[in-house]
Parts: sequence; C-alpha cells; structure tokens
Amino acid sequence: MIQLYNVYKSYNNTPALVDISFIIKKGAFVFVTGPSGAGKSTLLKLLYRWESYDKGQVLVNGINVGKLNFSKLWQLRRHIGVVFQDYKLLPGKTILENVAFALEIVGAEKKTIRYKAWEALKNVGLSHRKDAYPMELSGGEQQRVAIARALVNNPKILLADEPTGNLDPDMASEILHLFEKANADGTTVVFATHSQNVLREGNHAVIALKRGKIADTRIVA
Amino acid sequence: MNILKTTLSNIKSNKQLFFASVGTITTALSILGLFLFVYINLNSVLSFWNDQVQLIVYLDDEISSDEKKQLEKLFSSSSEVDSFRFVSREQAWEKFQLMFSEKSSFLKGMGFNPLPASYNLKIKPLPERLKSIQSLAEKLSQEGGVESVEYGEEWINRFETFMILMRVFLLALGALLCLGAVLIIANTVKLSVLSRKNEIELMLLTGATPGFIKFPFFLEGIFHGILGALISLSLMKGVHLYLVSRFQGSIETFGRGMDFQFIPMSFVMVIMLTSLLMGWLGSYLSLQQFLGAYKKL
Repeated sequence: MIQLYNVYKSYNNTPALVDISFIIKKGAFVFVTGPSGAGKSTLLKLLYRWESYDKGQVLVNGINVGKLNFSKLWQLRRHIGVVFQDYKLLPGKTILENVAFALEIVGAEKKTIRYKAWEALKNVGLSHRKDAYPMELSGGEQQRVAIARALVNNPKILLADEPTGNLDPDMASEILHLFEKANADGTTVVFATHSQNVLREGNHAVIALKRGKIADTRIVA
Repeated sequence: MNILKTTLSNIKSNKQLFFASVGTITTALSILGLFLFVYINLNSVLSFWNDQVQLIVYLDDEISSDEKKQLEKLFSSSSEVDSFRFVSREQAWEKFQLMFSEKSSFLKGMGFNPLPASYNLKIKPLPERLKSIQSLAEKLSQEGGVESVEYGEEWINRFETFMILMRVFLLALGALLCLGAVLIIANTVKLSVLSRKNEIELMLLTGATPGFIKFPFFLEGIFHGILGALISLSLMKGVHLYLVSRFQGSIETFGRGMDFQFIPMSFVMVIMLTSLLMGWLGSYLSLQQFLGAYKKL
C-alpha cells in the first residue's frame, strides 16, 4: 500500500529525512515514532504529498507520488484520510457540517451527505452532539470529530499526526481504539506518536525515527 | 448551487470590503463611461454636421445670366453634387431678417441689402466627402461670377482631430482604470481567500479538485466586476435621462433631429464583458499567488 525507496528530504540544506525505505502492506497498522524533530510529521506529509522530497521514490496505493502535479493531487488525497494533533475543525460549522464538508468536497451525492456524516459521527460516539460547534466540545471529542471526518469518505489509508498529543492518557487510549476499529474494517493506518503509553498499548508495528533516519523497526507487517 | 452558496458566504463574511471594492469599480467605470458618453455625443454631433455640410457659392452682384447658366451646367455635371438651389439676394435677406427678427428694427433701419446671391449645393455622401468638397470648391472659385466659396472645412477638420485625440485619451484612461479595477478586485479576493485559508487547506487535504476550490472565488471576482458595471451603467443612464429631460429643448436649436445619445448597446455589452473579465482576472491573480505557495511545497 505504501512503499518508500531511499527517500531524502531536506529543508534549506538541513536534512529532515535521510535514506528512508520501508513497505507498509495493505491493512497494516504502523506506528511512526521518535522524539520531536525526528521527521515523523515530514514523513507523513510526503505520503499525502503536502511536501515534496528531494530524492528517492514514494508509492502510495500504486501512485507515484513524486510524479503527480498539483492539479492531479486530489487523485492521491481522496484515498487518504488525515488526522492532526490540532484537529483542524472549522469553527463556524457544526460538527455534522464539518464532517459533511469532507463529503461535499469529493462531490458526494447530496441526498446521502447528511446521513453519511451522521453515521460517521455515530461511529465515533458523537451523533447526539451533531449540532454542537467544535468549541463546545472537549479536546477528545473534537479529535473524534476529526477522525469521523477523515473516515467519512472510506479512505484506504488513514494517516494520523500525533492525534493524541493534546489529550490525557484515558482519552488517548479511546482515540487509539477508534483507529484500531478503522484498521479492523480494512483501513491501513499510519499513526505518528511520541507517546510510549500509546505505543505500549497499541502493540503494533513500529518505525522509529531519529534525526531523520530509521533508527529501529519492529515487525513491519 | 454549492458554489454559489460558498461565493455568497465569502462575500457575506467580507461585506464591507466587497462593497468598498464594488464602489471603487463603479467609480472607475463611471468616470470612463462619462467620457465615453461625451465622446459618443460629440461624435454624433460631428456626423450630424458632416451630413449638413453644404457648399455655398456666393455670387458677384454683377454676375451675368450666361455665367449663371455656365455654373448651373457645371453643378449638374459634377458627380459630387446631389442637388443645388439658387438663393437670390432678396431671399437671403428675408431669411436673414427672419432669423434675427428680434433685431428687426435695426435691420429695417439699414435701408439696403448687404447679402449676395448664392447657390447652396448639397453634396452626395461620398466616402472621401471632405476631399471632394475641397476640390470642387477650388474648381468653382475659379469660375467667372463667383465671389467666394464657403464650407465648414477647417472647423470640421479641427473637430475630427480633436475626436482622434479624445479616442486616444479614452483608450489610455480605460486601460488605466481597468488595470486599477483588476488590482482592487485581486486584493479583495485575496483577503477573501486568506480569511478562508484553513478551509482551503482542508479542501486541498481532503482531495478537492483545483476547480472546486477556485470556482467560488472566480465567481466572487466576477460578481465584483458585473455589479460595478451594472451600477455605473445605471448611473450613466440616470445622467442621460436627466440631460434629455433638462436640455433636449436647447440641443434641438443646434440642429433638428439631434438628441443626447446613450452609450450604444454594443458598448454596453463590451463594458459588461470587460468587467466580467476584469473580475475573473483579479481572482485568477490572487488565487495563482495563494495556491502557488502550495504548489511549491
């Protein structure tokens, strides 16, 4: 599903990723870990082509990411759901509208949008709060909305950039379970975290980064 | 429908800016439109007078009937002459008195008729009208019994030069105002784009096509242009109606059948189309700049 071959990336001559190669198979759940500045976020950004890379090759769902030009990027991104540490919810929309927005963007059939958005919220246990605005929710709840939004288009890959970074351990564990649920439904998950608790609890394959290099791997499925 | 909704909500969230920008475009187009209005009306005056151009052959008081016949023969054989009419000294005097009836006591007191007899020649509407009038006038002034030949040549020439200058001025002014309008629209749309930065980023992340992202902003830019054009055209129509109701009477003393012309439909269409393009271009420029940053990543 995701293949990286000798990928290099630098910012103003400062290396951010050095000679990264790995393969993540379809349906896998992989943690990407490492201290701050190790290159976790950069690595994820390469996968959904928010950043370009200097050398090497990145294949995502059979698409050669480096060869995509700007006007075709949507073809890649529609296979990927992304969840961020800061949720990136639109404050002026209700949480149902926030989830529906992702459906509108991909041109989903109008009649189905409301129902699908509601169902996605139900899957994260928030359908009863569908008319609330993001600011009225706790951090954990906001992250659940972000997960619902990332999953509503049934992406093949779910990328998470420190999704539990702002949450307490109980909430983090709840969020992790949501990702595991999505993974059980067949979505390939790449979960970046520096939290040892999450890593221990998850017990999935791990890619550990240190100063932009792969320092360690643990059963990359 | 969704695109329209997004566009309207963009406008709503930047209402003040939108109206400021539309107001500026309206002002720019109105200035241009008023000059165009003046130009079109001067042009219609020119063509009106051009149609009225007559060649007047003033005759010597001592002209012989042979010379008269010779002249009339010449008129009939000239291809430029449409028709001719003899105006005797008495007829000229009568007409003169009629035209200046308020001064009739003075005119009556004169006791003699100072006016010469003349031939008024109507010239055919040939393509090189002025030139043919010029050469005919030269030929006629050589004839016996002709005192002088008159037509409004110099005046018309000067007027035409003025109109050419005016045309150049209008084009330059138009180009300058359009450029200004495009920059204003670009800036307004840019602020609109920036205020939706998070939303656009989310769209990019979720896999929106570039068209889906750009279209509402294009529409917003086009709204600016079209609305500005409509308001300024309405203002100009208002000015036109006012001028007609206030001055139509006085303008008719200049020439029968003359009136204030409004900008012709074809120009109105050009103004609308130009505004639409200006709106599009303004949005295009700001979107290129904004999305360009994401292309480079």
